[in-house]
Amino acid sequence: MRNPLDLPKKKPARGRRAAPTAKDEPGRLVEALRAMEAGRAPALEPSEMSEPGLRAVAEALLDVSGSVRRRLADADRRVQAVTDGVDEAIEAMVRLVIQGDLSGELRLGVSDAALTPLVAGVAQVMETLKKFVQEIREAALQLSTSSAEVLAAATQNESSTSAQASAIHETTATMEELKGASHQIAENAQMVASIAEQTLAGARQGEGAIKLFMGSMEKVRHNAIEVDDAIAKLSKRVERIGTVVDVIDEIADRSDLLALNAALEGAKAGEAGRGFSIVAAEMRRLAENVMESTKEIKNLITEIREATHAAKEASDGNKREAAEGEKIGGTAITSVSGILSGIQETSDAARVIHLATQQQRTATEQVVQSMSEIEEVTRQAQTGSKQATGAAAELTRLAERLAELVKRFRVE
Amino acid sequence: MSETSDILLFQVGLRIFATRVRDAVRIGSVRDVPADSIILDSSLGRPHSRERGIVVATPDEQQERTLVIDEVLGVRTVHEDELRPLPPFAAACLPGGAVTGFVLLDEAPMPLVDLPTVVRQRLARPTPRI
Repeated sequence: MRNPLDLPKKKPARGRRAAPTAKDEPGRLVEALRAMEAGRAPALEPSEMSEPGLRAVAEALLDVSGSVRRRLADADRRVQAVTDGVDEAIEAMVRLVIQGDLSGELRLGVSDAALTPLVAGVAQVMETLKKFVQEIREAALQLSTSSAEVLAAATQNESSTSAQASAIHETTATMEELKGASHQIAENAQMVASIAEQTLAGARQGEGAIKLFMGSMEKVRHNAIEVDDAIAKLSKRVERIGTVVDVIDEIADRSDLLALNAALEGAKAGEAGRGFSIVAAEMRRLAENVMESTKEIKNLITEIREATHAAKEASDGNKREAAEGEKIGGTAITSVSGILSGIQETSDAARVIHLATQQQRTATEQVVQSMSEIEEVTRQAQTGSKQATGAAAELTRLAERLAELVKRFRVE
Repeated sequence: MSETSDILLFQVGLRIFATRVRDAVRIGSVRDVPADSIILDSSLGRPHSRERGIVVATPDEQQERTLVIDEVLGVRTVHEDELRPLPPFAAACLPGGAVTGFVLLDEAPMPLVDLPTVVRQRLARPTPRI
């Protein structure tokens, strides 16, 4: 490197220059100064100066030029020493970096005091670098461990995500089946509700029929009671008729007896009682006719009594059957009421089940939709987990690589 | 013109008898007669209805007895030649004299009984339990 103040070495004069005139001597001084300014050695010969003052200036100028040249040489030497020290330090640092040996101390043969801060700074840099290497080594070790753990966790997560995806897929399939089952249940519940409604209508018709039947039974019982009363009245009338007929029969019997005795007495009277006997015979014939009639009446009364008794028995039977029918109708209406209540409850329950199953179907469809979305998200998570696992593996490899690189630097 | 007689026809059970009207005091009703005056069971048979009775006078006891019959058929006037006494052999075979002969009514013979004899015969034997 060329110092601009480095003065060229004094060269021998080529030929003799023309002796300056007094008039040119300041110009020569100025020219010398310009040369110094340009870094050249002033070509000036004081002895050639005619003027003493200018000669002294020239001599001073030459002295200054010599002093400057010496100082510049010293400076060049110092710069060279510093440059060499810096180069040595850089070389030492490069050597240490290349060799990776940070275990020792940096020893430089630099004696220049100006490089002491540089040497101290380089030592500080080395020390800092050593600490960095140590920290990086520890960090690389921790990074390797952590990346291994991350890889293991990512692998586990990937496995779990795969299992979760499989479970979600199965759950989705199950929910699809459940949706179908819910649909079937809803249809069945609707069918049950419809059948329950029909059964309810039929049971209500049956209830109405039973009530009509009970009304008819009540009418039958009332009619039977009225028939019973009529039969009782008829029996009394018949008994009354029988009593009257008995009286008539008794009278006819007495008349017959009287006629017999009259005929007997007439016969005993002989010819005188013949006419009497004829009248008596006629009376007896009339009495016998009456008795014959009363006998027929009695037979009729007997038949009426038997018919009345049979009618009474039938009426009693009707009353019993009507009462039994009413009782059975009451039991039936109670049973039908229970059946109606049960059917009503069944219908209500079926309707509630139908609504619940419809809601369940809607909810199941929503769950199926949600499960499909979850499955998609899980699939994405599975893909992300695989990517994370790959990234963790790459990170592990990078950590191992970093550890390998850091191992090159020896700090102990 | 032949003589005529009046006979009383009555029925006991299934059989029809005839008697002369003079043997019957009157015809009565059984329920109007005291029980000790009633003759229920006689040689004529056992009546069924027990409503009618022929009041018969017993000369020896001087009282009346009611012979229970089923029915009085009436008084008929017949010719004497229609009244046939029992043949001697038949009368010998029928001791007691209750049946005195036959009366022909519509060509059918009918026993002609003597009611006082019937009552007497009945009173002669012990009263059966009814």
